[in-house]
Amino acid sequence: MKRIARIGFIVLGLGMLIPASLAQNPGYQQDPTWRAPVDAVSRPNPLFTKPQTAAGGRKLFIRNCVECHGKDGAGIEKKHSADLQLPAVQQQSDGALFWKITNGNNRRGMPSFSKVPELQRWQIVMYIRTLKP
Amino acid sequence: MTYNHHMEEPGNLDIEVSNTTDVPRNGQRFYSAPYLELEYGVTAQWTSELYLEGQATWEDSTVFTGWRLENRFKPLHREHWINPVLYLEYESINEASRIQKEIEGGGPDLISRNALLTPRHDHELESKLILSSDYHDWNIAENFIVAKNFSRSEGVEFGYSFGVSRPLGTLASGANCRFCRENFIVGAEMYGGLGSTLDFSAHSSAHYIAPVLSWAVSDNSTLRFSPGFGLTHESNPVLFRFGYTYEVQNFGSRISKLFGRKQ
Repeated sequence: MKRIARIGFIVLGLGMLIPASLAQNPGYQQDPTWRAPVDAVSRPNPLFTKPQTAAGGRKLFIRNCVECHGKDGAGIEKKHSADLQLPAVQQQSDGALFWKITNGNNRRGMPSFSKVPELQRWQIVMYIRTLKP
Repeated sequence: MTYNHHMEEPGNLDIEVSNTTDVPRNGQRFYSAPYLELEYGVTAQWTSELYLEGQATWEDSTVFTGWRLENRFKPLHREHWINPVLYLEYESINEASRIQKEIEGGGPDLISRNALLTPRHDHELESKLILSSDYHDWNIAENFIVAKNFSRSEGVEFGYSFGVSRPLGTLASGANCRFCRENFIVGAEMYGGLGSTLDFSAHSSAHYIAPVLSWAVSDNSTLRFSPGFGLTHESNPVLFRFGYTYEVQNFGSRISKLFGRKQ
């Protein structure tokens, strides 16, 4: 009985790990030189108290980001785009993500999205927070 | 048309059909000057555009007026208070061109007949310094134009364009809607010629002031309308611009795939 439970546990664990690993862009490596300045990192999200704005962020994400990051934000390998579900992304502050959306990273082909109004960029950050493996 | 520092996304192609029409003054005729624009994001800092243009004048004729190839380069990687963009355009057009994408020198000849204007072919090099700033939700852009026609001795011609714009809605609603406020951008621009090195004067040039309305009809298509009001006798009293843009995402990748390039 114990053996069956152990096998079941392993199968369940693998079942959780496999989709998680498939969701990620395995080729993605962070650009170590692409760092938000300190004042940008500490910038608070003005929509922090309005989690309902993430719904609008989803719409903006589909319009601006899905093309490279995929519908689930897991990145597209051939585009070398970031897997936004990774802890390396999710552990960054809202301010850092906002700065990266605003400025882009030309070396890695990530364009600047400063054309998107400021509050809408914060909405995209809110939606990125909802992306889970 | 006032350019700002927002470039086309790399690999995307914008297909735009636009038209410029006028309300004629005494001695001028009604005309319609359409153009097709193909805008491609080569990299995040380099956008390239090809224009094909024509013109039809009432009680005159319909003519192809030429083509233009332009490139915009954004030299700085990050966003700054003022973001410069360098613009370089080669024009192979004739004197019947009336799309008036920008005005340099004294502006186009709006009186002579097409039969007289079309044989006068111009090879022109035009450069612009584009300065653009985003302040909260406002975009403020200034374009300074310098053009040299290599086909005739007109000196070096100058022009300008200034524009401000902002979206009607700054927060996006969660609903999929065509008429949401965030889908509309409103603005105003002023553009005109500043004469040339032979006659540096703003008085004998065309100048316009124009409100601009842009509507994102869907995720990849936009309608734009701008009625321009002439400020000098050399201008048309009213200039209507109307355009539709369709964005083809991942155009570069699709073409690469078509020719068998491995991704």
